[in-house]
Parts: sequence; C-alpha cells; structure tokens
Amino acid sequence: MVTFPRQPEEAVFRAIADPTRRGILRLLRDRQCTVGEITRHFATSRPAISRHLRLLRSAGLIVTRQLGTTRICRLNAAPLRAVNDWLREYEAFWSESLGNLKRIVEEDQ
Amino acid sequence: MTAILIDTITQEIEINASASRVFTALTTPDECVRWWGIGGRFQSTRMECDLRPGGKWIVRGTRAGGGEFTVRGEYREVDRPRLLSFTWLPDWHGDATESLVRFELSEANGVTTLRLTHSGLTGEHARMHHLGWPEILGKLREFVETH
Repeated sequence: MVTFPRQPEEAVFRAIADPTRRGILRLLRDRQCTVGEITRHFATSRPAISRHLRLLRSAGLIVTRQLGTTRICRLNAAPLRAVNDWLREYEAFWSESLGNLKRIVEEDQ
Repeated sequence: MTAILIDTITQEIEINASASRVFTALTTPDECVRWWGIGGRFQSTRMECDLRPGGKWIVRGTRAGGGEFTVRGEYREVDRPRLLSFTWLPDWHGDATESLVRFELSEANGVTTLRLTHSGLTGEHARMHHLGWPEILGKLREFVETH
C-alpha cells in the first residue's frame, strides 16, 4: 500500500508546480550552479529567482553552500520520489482503464 | 531524473477496431462507465456529456469503502474520429486546478492506435490535500497487484 503526501511532501509538489522552479531543477540536474549562473538562464529578476531558490530549499530539493561571496546550489533529488510515485499511480489508472476500453471495443467486433 | 521532472503522462494502446468505433467508446456515456475505472474498487457509475468544444462532461462514481467521487471538465477539441481533448477537474480536493487530457487516434489496416496524454498534473497535486487520488489509486494498485 502506498503512503501519500504528508506535510513535507506537499511542499515538494508545491515547489515543482512552477515552470521556473522546474527549470532550475533541470539545470541543477547536470551540475552545481551559482545563483548568478541560475539567474542568467531565466528571464526573471534576481530577487524572483532568490525567492524560487528559497522555496526549493525549504522543500529540501536544493542544498546551498557559501563560497566567499558566491552561493552555490546543488540538487537534492531524493524528495522527488514522492512525485514519481504519484505519477505512477495515475499511470496505473489510465493503463487499466485503456485496457478495459480495448477489451470492450474488441469484444464488440 | 528526467521522468520525475515532468508533469505529463503519455500512454499508447492498439485496438483492433476502427478509429470511429474507438471514438464512440470514448464519448458515449453508456460505454464510458464500462471502461473508466477498476471494477469494484474505483467504479464510474454515470456520465453526462455535451460533446462539443466548450461543452461540459461529468463522471460520477463510487470508490471502495462506499465513498462517491466526481470528475468533471470541459471539451476543448472534438474532431471525430481523430482527436478529443478535455479538461480534468476532480472533486476530491476543494481547490484543485484543471489538468488536460488529450486522446489522439490514428487508424491503419483496421487497427487504431490510441494515444493518451494527461498533462498539467503537478499543478493539480500542488493543491491536493491528502484524500482522493491517493486513496483511490492506492486501492487500485493493491487490486492490480493482487489480481
């Protein structure tokens, strides 16, 4: 039996519902980036990017460390498993329903 | 990693029937309730639809344990027998946002390839509170895995 979102996981879903934040996560999938590097990839102001980063950090999806005057971000992908599990449940629903559909239509031939 | 950053499900199935026949099964209430869901666990019981772009649809049903659910939406594209798309708004969380379901049908040699795309799902889940799909689909998985 699958267990479904409790509080921390809801934060993850909120975090990835936004296209800019999904873009940031995709960027960090390949390598660590400074906040400046991340900002250059998006048509969004630096304060807005900082807000996105704070939200991602509070959801546990990124980890940051300070190096001199720059802050470096890296991805922490583990919490995304909850999203993956949930999408798989939806996939199971459609897969089963489409299987039913095929059977009904073909029996009717 | 790629998979977990997407919010879209895509599935494809081949059906030995004409596209027109499959389209009818996708859009006729009496037929929809026969295939939509899992018998005894998550069962649609009634569907109403106004099949035209902008027309509404609603599916009502029961889930294991006796609870009821509805999913509703609005048709966006109705192009028999090639394309059907509609919004998807379940009632199991009060402030859900719509996602989008799209069926594409292509027929060759009497076989129809039906392609499903369900997109915008993380937006739905972002506002989801505990009950609903988790409960329904948890039951569904249990059923699928034990049969």
